[in-house]
Amino acid sequence: MAIDGLIILDSANFRPIVQTSFRSFSTAYPLLHIDAYNAALAKAERPEDIDPVLFVPLPDAPTACCHLQHLSLIFLCPISGNLDPLYAFAFIRTFLDILIEYFGDVTAPTLRDNFDIVHQLLEETLDAGGHPLTTSPNALRDIVLPPSLITKILSVTGVSGLSGPTTTGLSAFSSPIPWRKAGLRYNNNEIYFDIIETLDAVVNKSAAIITSSVLGKINVNCKLSGTPDLLLTLTNPHTITEPSFHSCVRLSRFAQSKTLSFIPPDGRFTLMEYRFDPSASKPGAAPALTAAAASQLQVQVPFTLRSALFVTDHGGTFELTFSPRASALDDVVIELYLGAGASSATCSASTGGGGWTYLPAQNTLRWSLPPTTRGGRSTANNNNTLQGTFTSSEARPRPARAAQISFALPPGALLAARLDASSGGWSGKAGDATFVCFLRGGQRLGTMERMEARDFGITTSLSTE
Amino acid sequence: MMSGQGQDAKFFQRGKIQEFRQELQAAETKDKKYTKRKTILKKIVANITMGNDMSPLFVDVVQCLGTPLLEIKKMVYLFLINYGRAKADSIHMIIPNFLQDCNDRNPLIRALAIRTMSYIPIPVVIENLTEQLRHHLKDRDPYVRKTAAICVAKLYAADPRKAERGGFVELLRDLLVDSNATVVANAVAALSEISDRQDGVLFKLNLPVANKLIAALGESSEWGQIYILDALLRYVPETHADAELIGERISVQLQHANSAVVLTTIKVLLYLMNYMESRKLIEHICKRMGPPLVTLLSSGPEVQYVALRNILLIIQRRPTVLKNDVKVFFCKYNDPIYVKLAKLEIMYRLANEENVKEVLAELEEYASEVDIDFVRKAVRSIGRITIKVEGAADACIRSLLGLIETKVTYVVQEAIIVIKDIFRRYPGKYEGIIPKLCENLDALDEPESKASMIWIIGQFANRIDNADELMDDLTYNFLDEPTEVQFALVTAAVKLFVYKSSSDSVKALVHKVLKWTTEEIDNPDLRDRGFMYWRLLAINPTPAITTDADRMDRGALDQLLLHTGTLGSIYHKNPETFIRGAAGKALVDSPALNPMSRQVLVPIQREAPPSGPIVVPGPGPIEPGAASIPSPLPMNTSKPAPPLPPESVGTGGLLEGEGSAGDEDEDEDEDPAAARLASASDPYASMDAAFGEYTADAPQPSTVTQGAELLF
Repeated sequence: MAIDGLIILDSANFRPIVQTSFRSFSTAYPLLHIDAYNAALAKAERPEDIDPVLFVPLPDAPTACCHLQHLSLIFLCPISGNLDPLYAFAFIRTFLDILIEYFGDVTAPTLRDNFDIVHQLLEETLDAGGHPLTTSPNALRDIVLPPSLITKILSVTGVSGLSGPTTTGLSAFSSPIPWRKAGLRYNNNEIYFDIIETLDAVVNKSAAIITSSVLGKINVNCKLSGTPDLLLTLTNPHTITEPSFHSCVRLSRFAQSKTLSFIPPDGRFTLMEYRFDPSASKPGAAPALTAAAASQLQVQVPFTLRSALFVTDHGGTFELTFSPRASALDDVVIELYLGAGASSATCSASTGGGGWTYLPAQNTLRWSLPPTTRGGRSTANNNNTLQGTFTSSEARPRPARAAQISFALPPGALLAARLDASSGGWSGKAGDATFVCFLRGGQRLGTMERMEARDFGITTSLSTE
Repeated sequence: MMSGQGQDAKFFQRGKIQEFRQELQAAETKDKKYTKRKTILKKIVANITMGNDMSPLFVDVVQCLGTPLLEIKKMVYLFLINYGRAKADSIHMIIPNFLQDCNDRNPLIRALAIRTMSYIPIPVVIENLTEQLRHHLKDRDPYVRKTAAICVAKLYAADPRKAERGGFVELLRDLLVDSNATVVANAVAALSEISDRQDGVLFKLNLPVANKLIAALGESSEWGQIYILDALLRYVPETHADAELIGERISVQLQHANSAVVLTTIKVLLYLMNYMESRKLIEHICKRMGPPLVTLLSSGPEVQYVALRNILLIIQRRPTVLKNDVKVFFCKYNDPIYVKLAKLEIMYRLANEENVKEVLAELEEYASEVDIDFVRKAVRSIGRITIKVEGAADACIRSLLGLIETKVTYVVQEAIIVIKDIFRRYPGKYEGIIPKLCENLDALDEPESKASMIWIIGQFANRIDNADELMDDLTYNFLDEPTEVQFALVTAAVKLFVYKSSSDSVKALVHKVLKWTTEEIDNPDLRDRGFMYWRLLAINPTPAITTDADRMDRGALDQLLLHTGTLGSIYHKNPETFIRGAAGKALVDSPALNPMSRQVLVPIQREAPPSGPIVVPGPGPIEPGAASIPSPLPMNTSKPAPPLPPESVGTGGLLEGEGSAGDEDEDEDEDPAAARLASASDPYASMDAAFGEYTADAPQPSTVTQGAELLF
């Protein structure tokens, strides 16, 4: 149960920035994996299409190479035993989160500039045998000092060194709870909760929902002194299905009483993720349906998109009509892939219908709509249309049959309103400290939704040829 | 940002050993707060990680070990870990420093010292570590204890017998009941690592220890939880009740946010189910496993991929998991291709009479998408569902015909390949569509689709009026066709002849084809086939096709599920078959094991000997069953035709010469000895009469070509 090491590549030149030492392997070992990754990349049409677990047929013993890309960085994690690849991915994610926590924007130059810190982090989070060591940011911050202004001052005045990190470091390890250090002090005891919900839906051409799901996430920023033991009660926990929790939440307690009992880590963390299931709130819902199937019956998409696309030789014409159903929608962006070889597009939007751009690198047309007016109930007047033509080097272009639409609902709209009961029901109680609980879900944070509208009349036009 | 931002980037430049040495010597004086030494060491470490050899600096660097600054100590230790092994002759001079640090007041330094020592597997270091480690395993500080636990595994790797004699395994076992959860988890990790070695002591859990470990789960980090959960596979329940209780207790972990924890929990639950009795509880746990698996699908694509590959295994063994959730596997437009393909496979598995309409509508949608590979797999899936779900066959055929109408060449070709299999599954039901298929003959430019179409023409030659004309066209370029197509053409020509033996043009055609095959083809298999047909005219039943054969064998599934989440589950192979030194896993028999699981129990094989009798193919027709050993890779979707079950009996046909039989021949005849035997002893010699008037015309193999063949 151990990974072999971690390599961080710069996606600009595919060369390593930092890597663990791979002490029990030959020196060629990391290089062979980098080569395997580059070879797979060369073979793939699109970089995102490479299998995330690459089989590397090394002569003496084959291995697997798990990889993950984050912006300009590529993380490679070779594994030679019969290990859970998720274990490798979980470690990469954890390490990435640590880097983000330390440096904010994680890019190749940042890592190069803070090379020594990154290297120390690697040493502390992964031992040479491949076992993750200290991955909780709380404890790490004491062993490896973040590159902050304070550190700078400390190093100038000579306060850092043996006396600095080790004394506080001790407290991190003497704490019986791996995710929280002992002896924290804050002047203002505050805890913030953010609730973010995402609607994911696939809609067919007759505007019927094929699949949809609402995923929720509760992010917490905790600034509490001591070791507070919190109890959070949900007013309608039955609408929350398939929850998954941070390791601090006592799972058996939730199983018994549907309450969240936990000692929070310090700082930012994700407390829980869940699926929203409005049907469960109705008594006597058909028990034969699973949670996922039942929720599909409920959540509505707050707009419709009608479209017609006709393909001709070396191009085509299209017309998209967007009609919002909800009172207010923000950041609506519609993307349509025009097929390999698409070279340009010309469109005109209806008055106030937003702007469009054509992205030649992705062969994609992007249409950004203005925010729909609040309180405008009559959907007929709110229709936006985009008409246009496109050209293509292909004699018979094959544009995508689905448009991708992403949008945000302003706070309080649609889903948030429906979820009000569940999101508004927090009550805070601490064991040994009083604190203020700030709740932002449903009030200040937008709900981000993403959907695809499928199949809009391309079939007919193709067969006319 | 850091003070020396720009300078640090320069550390990447290749350093010069001599320069570093001089700098280090210079830094010994006038180095207030050791900042000079720190900077130089930083440069050296930067060079180490860039792969530059810094070992000549060994003596200079270890001088810094006395510096009472943790940061410097860390870097020197890092240097030692890298070059300690190579400098075996000078390592003895640092031993006093090691021992001093082992007894430092600061637990971080104590832990750092033993950790470093355990990475240097040199007798003198190991010797000293052995003495020290005994105390550190009982250190009052949990950080030292947890580090010491992992060090035991390293010690064991360096010298197993010494570690055993020293009683370290027992000391580790004591840590399993430590008050600190992280220490417990690391002790478990160390014991597991020791036990996974070929020469390691076996690590087994009894009920009280298993319960203690589960109690430690709540306070462990996610990594600790993974170690502990994985170790529970080493616990063999003695009674049904034990298995059920443990299953109940760990099932709360299904709600963990870490995907690896969730999948490991599922693995343990699947394992424990083999020892459970209560149907109700098993059903209940199966139901609870569904939602967390679905939750994994909302993570990043890499997690989705691993989850999907595992779901595919799980639903084959426990079909009730996710039974009603086929919709969550519908592909999103922007899924990466590997996620889409994995989802397709699961959609096929979950398709049944109730949901087939929705699934079919989705697949039709995919069949008109942009990505060619995905489109092909979607069309194949429609075909496989037609074969699997009888009630949906009509609808599937309609949608396949619709796809053929699109005239997109790769869609048409893929559709024809699957329709061939549908004909075999439902004989006498859909032959009416043959004329439609024949219209697309010219569009076929890939061997597999062409061979399929030829098979259809041969098989239904009596229903296709112009079959002889079509065959005549198709054989026009016979010698230039790929082998796969040539095989199909030979067989189809013979079938055509059997149906229309009175037609002179057909006689000429079959004669022409067989003459080419036996005289101008180099491929020994094809030539043998040609000879066989010359002489063979026997009635063989055409077996009906089923999809049962592409299910995995139950015992093999049970075994694979013990590897849930691991590489084995991604590749659907037992790890000992592709990872050197991987220990096999198998269910352990106990009074609590289910009778069903016991029946298919696969015994563990550390050194896998060849299983079963080795069958050497002798002369004579190859038994269809002999080659149809279930493939360990059910994902082989590129060849949907499953091996022919030997017992099934069909009607009508006369020669078993279909595509899949061809594959088998190829497999078997890769043994040149077998091919030689077959042609030399000529088992078909007595069947001369079967071919009527053509017998006299049959060409005999020339001695020259036979000699050439023997050289192979």
